Amino acid sequence: MSQALIDLVREKFPDTAGSSHRGDEVVNVRREQLVEIVSYLRNDAACDMKLLRDIVGVDLLTWRTEMTGGGALASNEAPAYAVQNKPRVEPRFYVAYNLYSITRKHSLRVRLDLRSDDAKVPTITSLYRTADWWERYVYDMFGIEFTGHPNLQRLLMYPEFQGFPLRKDYPVRKRQPLVPELDFPDLIRGPGPGPGGAGVPMSQTHVGRQNVDPNTYD
Amino acid sequence: MSNTRLPILRPEGNVPESSRLGGDENSVPVLLSRLDDSIGFFEKNLSNALGWARANSIFQYPFVTACCGMEYMSAMAGRYDISRFGAEFPRFSPRQADLLMIVGTINVKQSPVLKRVFDQMAEPKWVMAFGVCASSGGFYDNYATVQGADRVIPVDVYVPGCPPRPEQVLDGLKILQSKIQSQRHRAATLEKAPDVDMQSLAGKRRSFLGKLLGK
Repeated sequence: MSQALIDLVREKFPDTAGSSHRGDEVVNVRREQLVEIVSYLRNDAACDMKLLRDIVGVDLLTWRTEMTGGGALASNEAPAYAVQNKPRVEPRFYVAYNLYSITRKHSLRVRLDLRSDDAKVPTITSLYRTADWWERYVYDMFGIEFTGHPNLQRLLMYPEFQGFPLRKDYPVRKRQPLVPELDFPDLIRGPGPGPGGAGVPMSQTHVGRQNVDPNTYD
Repeated sequence: MSNTRLPILRPEGNVPESSRLGGDENSVPVLLSRLDDSIGFFEKNLSNALGWARANSIFQYPFVTACCGMEYMSAMAGRYDISRFGAEFPRFSPRQADLLMIVGTINVKQSPVLKRVFDQMAEPKWVMAFGVCASSGGFYDNYATVQGADRVIPVDVYVPGCPPRPEQVLDGLKILQSKIQSQRHRAATLEKAPDVDMQSLAGKRRSFLGKLLGK
């Protein structure tokens, strides 16, 4: 049934590429066509996908490197500066729109690849009201800009936050406290990154983590 | 009966200022004068009485941010009944509370709120970190979470657990009670109530940490 949905989309938009990922039907689209295709999927009687389940961003920076999937990067041992020596993946980001039809019980993922030097996507807030917060979320976490969004601000993080935390090159240990942190001594976690702890990078106070590059970490 | 007066080692808080000044920690306390002795006697008894009163009438302010709140409710409710230990009333105004219970994860966005609530509480005040997230950040070792509420405000007692059982909370409360009882209390003065001196503590411990890390 969902394969039929892909065929329907490909018939209408021959530029797109259909695939399947672990049982989910995916259609890759180009940026120029995105709004048109999503609008078609929403309004066409045969598709009738009135529910936008979510919009997610993905950073492929460490995809298929030695630190596959980013799990190793999130551990304490992996030196983050090794990321710099890995082959860069381009297009680095993608944005996926998970659509669902309540009446027809079928779902489709619309995937849009983005190069890291041009991470901009047209907004679909005019089609789905829920896209407002989802796009703000993806902007907050990945720094992907949604052009035409009415209020593109951070959703979860505070406005003072620098950088985009779910990008794979965001330092795992980096902290950006809002109030000056007390330098409360802690034998396990080391002194805090507050005024008293300045000079000793937090990363270097961890047992077994002496090999990290202090410039990469906080 | 011998005439020699045996030196009595007292808790530091109960020894009058005059006899503590200039003394080396390991030396035998200087002989107290009769006046100092009597002042110490009154201070000690007053302090004990105030400590008893304060330790057994802890009004808490629950700063509940996460799932530890369920265990807080359980500790409050009839089965475990924290009011047996005098912590009867949760006051939902920090100005009326003695104990700030940080129940749950503190993220960076919330930390100014927590600091403000703590600043609004009147002295004397104590803080309990309820659960590992409030104590150390727990497994939220990430960009959004404060790695322990003690990075923001001073904490008196830490209750581990994810979430802690109500028994652990009661145990933490009793530890806090004994801490309050042994602190030095005074009748109303304009002076600030005794508190952990973060700066000097940090200096002392860091030297130890430095030794540990070879710095």
